[in-house]
Amino acid sequence: MSDLNQKIKEVIIKSLELEDITPEDIYDDAPLFGEGDRSLGLDSIDALELGIAIKENFGVSFSTVNEETKKHFASVNALAAYISANSPS
Amino acid sequence: MKSVAGKVIFAALSVLYPALVFCGLVFWDISPRRLSLLLIGLAFVLFFNTTQGRRNAAGGAGTVQGNGAVPAGGEGAVSTGASIAGRESAANSLKDYALVVLMLACGGVSFFADSLLFLEFYPVLVSLSLLAFFGISLWKKPSFAFRMACLGDRRLQASPERAFVERYCDRVTLAWCFFFVFNAVVASFTVFVGDEKIWSLYNGLISYILIGIFFAVEFMVRKMMQKKMHSYIPVCELQRDSRPADMVVCFDGDSVRTWADFTDDVSKVRRYLEERENAPWILHCEDSYYFMVGLLAMLQGGRKALVTANRQEAFIKEIQKPGYGFLTDEPFAGATLIQDVLQNTESDGRWNTFDKDSAPIVMYTSGTTGEPKMVPKMFCQFENELFELVKVFGDDWVNRKVYSTVNHHHIYGLLFTVLLPTATGLPYRRHRIDYPSELANIAGEAAVIASSPAYLKRLAADAEGPIAFKTTPIIYSSGGPLPEEVARKCEGITGYWTTEIYGSTETGGIAYRQSKNGPIWTPFEVCKMSIGENDCLNVKSSYILEPEGFTTGDLVEIYDDGRFLLKGRADSIVKIEEKRISLPEVENRLKQTGLVQDVRVVPMVGKRQYLAAAIVLNADGVARFKDQPKLEINNFFKAHLNQFLENTVTPKKWRYLEELPQDTQGKIKMRDIQALFGLPESKNFRILKMHKEPGALSLKLVFPADSDFYDGHFPAFKLLPAVAQVDMVALLAHALLETPRAVQKIQRTKFSYPVLPDAVTNLEMTFKADTNKVLFTYTNEAGRMLSTGTLVMQAGA
Repeated sequence: MSDLNQKIKEVIIKSLELEDITPEDIYDDAPLFGEGDRSLGLDSIDALELGIAIKENFGVSFSTVNEETKKHFASVNALAAYISANSPS
Repeated sequence: MKSVAGKVIFAALSVLYPALVFCGLVFWDISPRRLSLLLIGLAFVLFFNTTQGRRNAAGGAGTVQGNGAVPAGGEGAVSTGASIAGRESAANSLKDYALVVLMLACGGVSFFADSLLFLEFYPVLVSLSLLAFFGISLWKKPSFAFRMACLGDRRLQASPERAFVERYCDRVTLAWCFFFVFNAVVASFTVFVGDEKIWSLYNGLISYILIGIFFAVEFMVRKMMQKKMHSYIPVCELQRDSRPADMVVCFDGDSVRTWADFTDDVSKVRRYLEERENAPWILHCEDSYYFMVGLLAMLQGGRKALVTANRQEAFIKEIQKPGYGFLTDEPFAGATLIQDVLQNTESDGRWNTFDKDSAPIVMYTSGTTGEPKMVPKMFCQFENELFELVKVFGDDWVNRKVYSTVNHHHIYGLLFTVLLPTATGLPYRRHRIDYPSELANIAGEAAVIASSPAYLKRLAADAEGPIAFKTTPIIYSSGGPLPEEVARKCEGITGYWTTEIYGSTETGGIAYRQSKNGPIWTPFEVCKMSIGENDCLNVKSSYILEPEGFTTGDLVEIYDDGRFLLKGRADSIVKIEEKRISLPEVENRLKQTGLVQDVRVVPMVGKRQYLAAAIVLNADGVARFKDQPKLEINNFFKAHLNQFLENTVTPKKWRYLEELPQDTQGKIKMRDIQALFGLPESKNFRILKMHKEPGALSLKLVFPADSDFYDGHFPAFKLLPAVAQVDMVALLAHALLETPRAVQKIQRTKFSYPVLPDAVTNLEMTFKADTNKVLFTYTNEAGRMLSTGTLVMQAGA
């Protein structure tokens, strides 16, 4: 589980070309999007990029954006849960 | 009045003419000579009518109608039973006089020769004169059928469908011409056969039946054509019964909203608004349907609408003056949730048109002053633009569904994704398409997709191959230029060369292009281009209210035919993924923190467009962030900006410097700062200052103690290895002086003193392009030379 989280964080940093951030700086349970103290502060363009990166790296895609998918993008933990539930392997 | 009676008599006699002649001959045994008096009488009635018609030209004396049943049919060809205006009477009367002469001649010959032959020619004459009349109208447009259609629907003349209807009417007129030729031929044939029974059977019955059949067929064809036509109605003129109650207004998966739902919901929201104090309302709804319900309720209810894409709390606070309402579809403190209004309000069934010239809407873009710029609009501006868009693109849209990848709170999204579908009765999807992969899901639909470069770039990069669209979609893009290669790739994926729209919030749509035809823009017909202040494009159009037009920030070259080429922006407003942002605004917001001495924000293009901020902290800033990791400082400034700006336009990359990059005159150039950001942040070195001239670079650097450079070298006594010093020179020269990256040879190097961790170190270098040599010198803060040397760069690498 934590391996997957680590991998997700690396994918986030790499695909979004985040500067000054290491995987250790990303909280497992903090929001990825929007503002807030612990939030990673990603924006809607990042969301698209990240969706593509996750598809490339984990083979899991997001078909439509609705309240449901927004939930999956809520945090690293949520993403990990979604990926392990939908992973092809 | 007399002329009307005359017309009625003439029409009745003309229709009954064959029957009268037949009865006169066969039953009443009247001689041709006496019968010819009928024709001569008819000629006099026509003459009388014509002169009357001329005298009261505006009175609508229909000289054409007088020719009998056939032209009455001509009238019905397209119009819905309109009376004929006397407008064309001058041209017609000449023909009528000719007909009078012919009729008198035929009547005269019949009278004196006591012969039937010329009496029977009358129907042929009528056919031929109608042929002449219809034929001339085809030659001297507008055609007769189209004139009739315009009388039936007075809006047609100035409607965007005019060209389409006119083409159809021309064809109908031509078909009538063929019919008259046929009728004249057959009628003359019946004359020469010499049998009055056959003559009167054809001219008195069959001919009329044929005319009836012609009408029926044309009516059916017209109904079919109407299906191919969009049913454009200006939004302000929409009536409650303008559309069928079960027409689909919008859809979301399998659930739909019908016109009846829509009118009901609008009246609910409107009632809610009207029960409250008359004040402007802020409107933000992510759901296109809710948005349109809210907007129309405000327009019909006479409430000023403030349409904003930005719903950051601080921004709403800025624009929400006391008494202003806020209608939204997402929970927001103090706002009215549109879902609650729809659920808790009874519809009173009210619906009305509204005055587009006094229905204000406010839109927002970012201004240069530091405040978000408000752009006040009147609804007539949108209406006029809709009209133009329907005229240019409307025919392509028929029977399609509208999809969007853009925000309808901005002008392009507003026009294309909600107002146009509403005005043309096309169903739209309530939610945006966010991901490129979603596009394949609508491959079975005939779609109009309002998109933007941001989405299409991703589509081009992400799609695995062509999408098998059943009907090739129509794709629009606006908000920024769409690179030609992206348009080409998207054509490969969708089969359609994206139509780009160029415009702005202030001007609305100005021009359009498809990159397959090159980068030249074709202006909309109503847009008049000229070169304004600072060589920028000035536009005047029916949807720009200022008589002097609007001068954009875009440099332009205008060709003789009115088309034009854009040559870049002239000011400091940039677009980040279609979001317009003023750089000074971001800079001013950062200075507001009181911790910043100097700052430059620059636009960057990489995998995506983003902003980057180079900041010089003031004494307070330095004290406040002492010993804090860089991430913490970034987050502080980001959090501050997020109160005012959307996440997308807050800077993604940050550099904290002692001084902004500049040349020896102290000039700060955007390109130098961009070059600085082109160098990825590294934990191995930090740049504190940068002075740059062509071919020369001076840097103030620090190599932190935790840098990788010291690994494996003298752990007890860290110093920067010579190889690292050389590589740093090559790296920086490449990034900032644009030299080749690879080093071919190292010459005349001398390493006199160590470069120490965390110590401020200066690096000077010059680059000679002709010899491809970089000369470098490291010095310490005191100015002592630490090392020096020459790198010969790999040419062409």
